[in-house]
Amino acid sequence: MKSNNQRVRAVYLLFILVFVIIAGRLIQVQGVSAAAYASRASRELYQTAPLAASRGAITDKDGVPFARSIASVNITVDQQLVLDPARAAEIVAPIISLPVSTVQSRLTGDRRFAYVAKDVTPAVWKSVKEAIAAENTKRSYGKYISGFYSEDAFHRDYPAGALGASFLGFVSASGHGGGGLEYALDPVLAGKDGSYTYAQNGGGQVIPTAHDVLTPASAGKEVRLTIDRDIQWVAQQSITAAVKKANALSGTVIVMEPATGKILAMATAPTFDPNNISKATPDLLATPAVSDPYEPGSTGKVMTMAAAIEEKVVTPTTLFTVPDKIKRGNRYFGDHDKHATWKLTTAGILAKSSNTGTIQIGEKMKPSTLHSYLTKFGIGTKTGLELAGESSGLLSPVDRWSGTTAPTVAFGQGYSLTTIQATSVFATLANDGVQVKPTLVSGYVDQAGHYSPKSVSKGVRIISSETAQKVRLMMESVLSDEGTAPGARIPGYRVAGKTGTANRIDASGQYHGYTASFIGFAPAENPKFVINVTIQDPHGVHFGSLLGGPVFKEVMSFALKSYHVPPSSQTVTLLPMNEKEMKALAAKKSQSETKTVSKA
Amino acid sequence: MSSYSTSARLSRGFKRSIDRDGFVRQLDLVLLGAVALLLVIGAFLVSASTRDWYGSQGLDPNFYLKRHLINIVIGIFLAAMTAAVDYRLLRAYTPVLWGLAVIGLIAVLIPHVGDTINGARAWISLPGGFSVQPAEFAKLAIIVGMAMVLAEKRDGEKDPRNIDVLQALGVAALPVLLIFVQPDVGTILVVSCAVVAIIAVSGAPARWIAGLLLLAVLGGVAAVQFNILHDYQLKRLQSFINPQADPQESGYQLQQARITIGSGGFLGKGLYKGPQSNGRFVPEQQTDFIFTVAGEELGFVGSTGIIALFAIILWRAGRLARRTTDLFGRLMVSGVMAWFAFQFFENVGMALGLMPMTGVPLPFLSYGGTSMFATLMAVGLLQNVHARRSWN
Repeated sequence: MKSNNQRVRAVYLLFILVFVIIAGRLIQVQGVSAAAYASRASRELYQTAPLAASRGAITDKDGVPFARSIASVNITVDQQLVLDPARAAEIVAPIISLPVSTVQSRLTGDRRFAYVAKDVTPAVWKSVKEAIAAENTKRSYGKYISGFYSEDAFHRDYPAGALGASFLGFVSASGHGGGGLEYALDPVLAGKDGSYTYAQNGGGQVIPTAHDVLTPASAGKEVRLTIDRDIQWVAQQSITAAVKKANALSGTVIVMEPATGKILAMATAPTFDPNNISKATPDLLATPAVSDPYEPGSTGKVMTMAAAIEEKVVTPTTLFTVPDKIKRGNRYFGDHDKHATWKLTTAGILAKSSNTGTIQIGEKMKPSTLHSYLTKFGIGTKTGLELAGESSGLLSPVDRWSGTTAPTVAFGQGYSLTTIQATSVFATLANDGVQVKPTLVSGYVDQAGHYSPKSVSKGVRIISSETAQKVRLMMESVLSDEGTAPGARIPGYRVAGKTGTANRIDASGQYHGYTASFIGFAPAENPKFVINVTIQDPHGVHFGSLLGGPVFKEVMSFALKSYHVPPSSQTVTLLPMNEKEMKALAAKKSQSETKTVSKA
Repeated sequence: MSSYSTSARLSRGFKRSIDRDGFVRQLDLVLLGAVALLLVIGAFLVSASTRDWYGSQGLDPNFYLKRHLINIVIGIFLAAMTAAVDYRLLRAYTPVLWGLAVIGLIAVLIPHVGDTINGARAWISLPGGFSVQPAEFAKLAIIVGMAMVLAEKRDGEKDPRNIDVLQALGVAALPVLLIFVQPDVGTILVVSCAVVAIIAVSGAPARWIAGLLLLAVLGGVAAVQFNILHDYQLKRLQSFINPQADPQESGYQLQQARITIGSGGFLGKGLYKGPQSNGRFVPEQQTDFIFTVAGEELGFVGSTGIIALFAIILWRAGRLARRTTDLFGRLMVSGVMAWFAFQFFENVGMALGLMPMTGVPLPFLSYGGTSMFATLMAVGLLQNVHARRSWN
């Protein structure tokens, strides 16, 4: 029996040893390392999730959205928590309308964070949660399907589809602007994401505690544009039809208010639907109106005329002998059509768009003078429109000009500008010589709905008001029967404009094809709108008058009507265009003087 | 037979039992107090580990607490029955008890009778959502059976012969084999401990003890070598050695267990206030990992208190074993003591990362009906021996 008691005592000792070991371990875990375990506990307990800021809307001038953000949900997953990816995929895939295999591959792996589906509606996420909960009621603890989370997001919606797409741009998968105004105004539109630190349980569900920290997201501002939705729509329809009819590469229409620089419409064809950018080719996503420079051709002649008149080297009625071909340097410059030598006034040269006549007018000034006027009109400088990727155009410095450069530049070739720059040049003439920076943004609306208009930049005088009016009067002759664009006339309104049919440099850097354009304004006596229609690389008919003219007429007629612009009150007496008209005018003048004398 | 005479007899019996030398006075009240305290603590911990979670799932937050309390009441009733019948009479019924245990262990292996939970076919479902684990009762049957065989014929006369030891091992072998088929490694380890303790205390030659320990080591090596272990068992062993080995399941559980206990610190987060416990970062929290809830919510102070209560229980059992002159009683007490000791050490050691993971409940604290019944019946057995002991 003694030995038995010894054995009991041995077992006792063993127990004491066990208790010492356990106590020691407890002291280590809950005493020495307690802080480390506590911090590990709070790390797995507390999670920080981003709170997406609502992206500001982009609206037309009346506040009707072109682009808006709609609440959506991104479904995410902790792959390590998904114990049965095959079954989970079977449950979730039909709800989010994806193939089971795709979903299963997104659920399988070791990643603690992965996207299952982006931009689903809150209702879809609710269905997913309910379906998983229903499945889990059939499962025992530890076999639950878990690991699914949601992330609040916003879906960018463009209710007007492709309308305005070329300046609106698009939002990339990251939720930030990928092009156009969405990109350029991203700092204003995006707002600031917040964050949410919360406790979660072992199954990944959020549990409310007192330690939740919420840093709210601040929503982006709404941007109100200068765009008039109706004019935009008409412009888009018109240019789309024209580009299609001319079998052209592309076409752009810009409608601008010369007094304010406000762009009322900017339409490009072809374009894309920002709701579905995956279908668009990369070149469609650009904003060609500001990013693609081209040689203007005859529309550039208005700057030569304005410079020469401002410098007082010619008047609108100065007579020139205009052959159909002249030689400068080692090169012959010709007019578009062969003709007998004309005797034309400055106004006649512009109306008939004579290259040889414009070269002679340009030669009345030093090359550096011509260069400085082009620079003042904005060639080689970005207009500062609120769009990224704007090109400044290209005008080589005057000290690098050769003997043929000045004559070339005089009639609008040898330098390049963008559609928005060309529009700005004509707007300066329309605004009595004062250049106003073009703008797409009229103001911003904050979260409280408070509208603050964008500060208006002061205009810069480029030429005198008299010169601008003279050139405008000359430009009305372009639409006369003798001019290049009689078809662009609008009954009841005085209209001024200029056609352009320029040689175009194609993608390979060679002259190939044409740029056809018509830029004009109405009413000519007090211009309300400037409209630039530029069509790149048309096939078949390529004259600016025939291609740009009808689009100009359609859009301008709509704009004048839409803004209730009253028709011109008086008919204009156009300037004499040639020697014959000059003589007739002089005869008339002397006759009336004679009459006056006889009366006296 | 009138009801009056029955109740009169009962009240007479009750009076007698609280007399100076009556049954109740003869109970080990220290042991009883420690067990009662553990039962109360356990009920709170089961509630704390399930209330928030099941509430948040839209289920009855007190579902587990209610069932746990029912289990305790049934367990106390069974314990009272076990304590009331003179244990010397138990000897006569021992073969029946053992036979029932073996039948239960066979029944659980029959498909559609036994349910498989967590890889082991160990449960028999009963109506009303309750289920029974025959292996828990088998622990009792093995202890009582071995004690009977080794105490037979030669009470207090001389040490058991080899044939007696072999017979006793035979009593344990059949149920152990059946439990091995389930498989329930945790229970086998508990039973093995009890077997070694009973044989050691019986006064059997030391070579038997050495032999059994050697057998255990060889068996363990063979199990690993010849792929007898299931995948999940190997994984548990691996994650005990290297917690990063299986971060999803057993390794995750062990790491979470330690994080939960450690984050409790000295005083704990307070009952029902442990975020890790409420969030159920540790799976199987109300059963095998109940100690983690104590660790987080009651802190070092609380968990040390629980350990102290177990120390008291083992001390009282040891004291009883040493003082009981009756060999049958002493062997039963030794077996129960070894059972409680090992199950306590394995469970708390697992939660603290000292022992590899095996699914054994923590006596008196863990949720689980059969385990509660068996442990409380074992306590009844200890009280039975205590009340009717012939003191040394």
